[in-house]
Amino acid sequence: MTSALDGLIVIDATSEFFSSLGVALLADFGADVIRIDNGERRLSADYHDRLANRNKRSVSLDLGLDAGRAALRDMVAKSDVFVTDAGLSTLAERGLDYATLSAAEPDLIYARASGFGPKGPDNDLPPLDELAAARTGMMPILPQPGQPPVYPQIGGMYTAVMLAFGVMTALHHREETGEGQEVDVSLLAGNMYGASLDLQAYLAIGGERFLHPVSRMDAGNPMSGTLYMTSDGLWVTLTMPDTDRWWPDLSEIVGLGVGDSRFNSHELRCEVNRLELIDELAKAFEREPADHWRKTFTERQMSADIIERYDFPVQDKQAYDNRYILEADGGAPKTLGFPIFMAETPAEMKRAAPRIGEHTDEVLSDLLGLTEDQIAEAARS
Amino acid sequence: MAKALDGIRVIDLTVWFQGPVAGQHLADFGAEVIHVERPHGGDFGRGVRTIKALPVGDWNQYFLVINRNKKSMAINLKQPSGQEILHKLVAESDVFLSNLSADNLASWHLTYDELKVINPGLVYAMSTGYGPHGTIDKPSFDMTVQALTGLMSRIGEPGQPPIYLGMGSGDAIGGLMAAYGILLALHNRRRTGKGQYIDASLYGAQLFLAAPTLSGYLAGEERFARQQSRKSPDNPLSNVYETSDGWIFLCMPNDDASWRTLCGSFDDEDIAADARFDTAGKRGENVEALVEALDGIIEQRTTDEWMERWRPLGIVASPINNLRDLEGDPQAWENEYLVETYCEEVQRNVNVRGLPVTLSKTPGVVETLGPELGQHTEQILVDTLGYTWEQVGELKEEGAIL
Repeated sequence: MTSALDGLIVIDATSEFFSSLGVALLADFGADVIRIDNGERRLSADYHDRLANRNKRSVSLDLGLDAGRAALRDMVAKSDVFVTDAGLSTLAERGLDYATLSAAEPDLIYARASGFGPKGPDNDLPPLDELAAARTGMMPILPQPGQPPVYPQIGGMYTAVMLAFGVMTALHHREETGEGQEVDVSLLAGNMYGASLDLQAYLAIGGERFLHPVSRMDAGNPMSGTLYMTSDGLWVTLTMPDTDRWWPDLSEIVGLGVGDSRFNSHELRCEVNRLELIDELAKAFEREPADHWRKTFTERQMSADIIERYDFPVQDKQAYDNRYILEADGGAPKTLGFPIFMAETPAEMKRAAPRIGEHTDEVLSDLLGLTEDQIAEAARS
Repeated sequence: MAKALDGIRVIDLTVWFQGPVAGQHLADFGAEVIHVERPHGGDFGRGVRTIKALPVGDWNQYFLVINRNKKSMAINLKQPSGQEILHKLVAESDVFLSNLSADNLASWHLTYDELKVINPGLVYAMSTGYGPHGTIDKPSFDMTVQALTGLMSRIGEPGQPPIYLGMGSGDAIGGLMAAYGILLALHNRRRTGKGQYIDASLYGAQLFLAAPTLSGYLAGEERFARQQSRKSPDNPLSNVYETSDGWIFLCMPNDDASWRTLCGSFDDEDIAADARFDTAGKRGENVEALVEALDGIIEQRTTDEWMERWRPLGIVASPINNLRDLEGDPQAWENEYLVETYCEEVQRNVNVRGLPVTLSKTPGVVETLGPELGQHTEQILVDTLGYTWEQVGELKEEGAIL
């Protein structure tokens, strides 16, 4: 079967999980991704390495040596895309900055996964998701009031997809015009994008309400975005913003009359008697276990569910039917699969993450036509 | 200035957030994105103020930002003449994007099987809740799907309720994933001439969002499913600490050099000499005592004081900001992650979430906020689809368009 990115050659000089994973999104759809590895350990966790470096080849080059850097520049000249997450000063020192690489190859797409973007006073801070999350402004408002700020650990995942999207956007332009360019996606931008609606609401409304956590017992709409505990200590969440539509079903399953005069309009539910309704719902959901509520929600096709732990998706047939999680394969554990379904050019698991330098000889001889002696000089043994 | 996606036309038959934001990414880079809406009330996202789905300012920031740079057509798809308009538009478009239910699309003759006959090169992109395969059939919203992934139960302090990662946090990754999938399919079409059916679901995208820890859980590390207290972190040097006026995120590796540097920044010299903390291994074993000791030291000074002390020493840390701090952060403005743009609804400039992906030669741009309902119906009917003004008049009379 053909893949969407057959024939696209990508040089992957990243060293962080989020950026390597962004390049894996290209590799999963058929790009020939060649990792540049430095003869050291790659990502600190093996499970990150398996996920973020699958479907790639690995070339071991010592970029501290002139010969290593020269081989890399030659490889870039034979490629479509170069991806790095190194600092701007390091790239300049090594002659791997955009100006140098694009001088020889104007149609190169040069992508950098950064911490804080290409401009501004902090454009060379390290690409650490913790730093970017701290700057974004969401950490204080995620938890309940009085709790420490929460690090959500997801900002890098937005950035990873932005990296793949940015490369493809630039590639589209190149196919039309022949012109290459620089792409930058940062952890700050990824964290901010993930915070879209809270951030945009703050920008539009201002004031104090988005600067402090809101108690779950003080939610603006008792039927939307709320959390209620079940009798077995699990949690239910409701997303029923249009309360007029859902009130007949909800009132019935929680044993409140649909015509209960305290709650029989949207205004009463969300303004006048809001706190009373939250209280009633909290009491009602505590009367039955989570299983009961899930069954009820499913029967009535309600927009509500039980808040699960990771054991749920890992045993959920839906996740396997859609290849979001892949079954264990020949000794390798289960792994995350592919979030995008393409009917004609599906993502494929063509090869497991390579050993460091596994393809050095193959790539240097195929791509660059180097002799054995030249390869030995360029590569760390 | 040239735009990266000049010449791509997208039919954006979407509602709420997940679908529209996918179209927004394409529109930001110059694709012609046509938001197709029902004549009565339009996209549900226009009505968030009335149904108090979420807080709205004096302008509808929910709808207007994710539908920026788009055109709007108001078409009644329940009528055959409305369906005919859409079929003609499909013949002239590159992408059909939707997050409506399969039942709706089937009843309006907008299935992939029907549309690919009209345009074999069409990329037909769905943003579903749970993916194209399998048996789940229930409504999907950002938070109800996030609930299933397990992400919400693993953050925050042990014993605290689950935490929603922010309004729209799941839709945002779902929409971005769809935008990427569309570009993959367009790239493939360039070589083969053929379009295809693609889907990027909320469930798949949010499982991806969980990758940093879910990948560890899949490898057998069950602790990743549970809440972990800041009082016993894996690495006490990468942790949140309260200062005298806020919180700070210390982000250092747990190695001896970092530890010595950190100790050098404290006035309290006892901790540097404390044998419980003098190797990485011991700092791990005595992590609770160490966090308590660091709490006692760090709470004595302001966040600014620590940042001033730490910066010259190379100690990596950040104040834990709030959204107001972010709005004042030059880094966000200089990179156009925040931009100011004109809002027709209130006749003034407003600040909006900007352009998270930076392209040096064909940058994204925020030209207009979301369109008025049906603002471009007539223009597209006449200029793009070749309807006569008489026909437009008839369609209006029939109620097929607004």
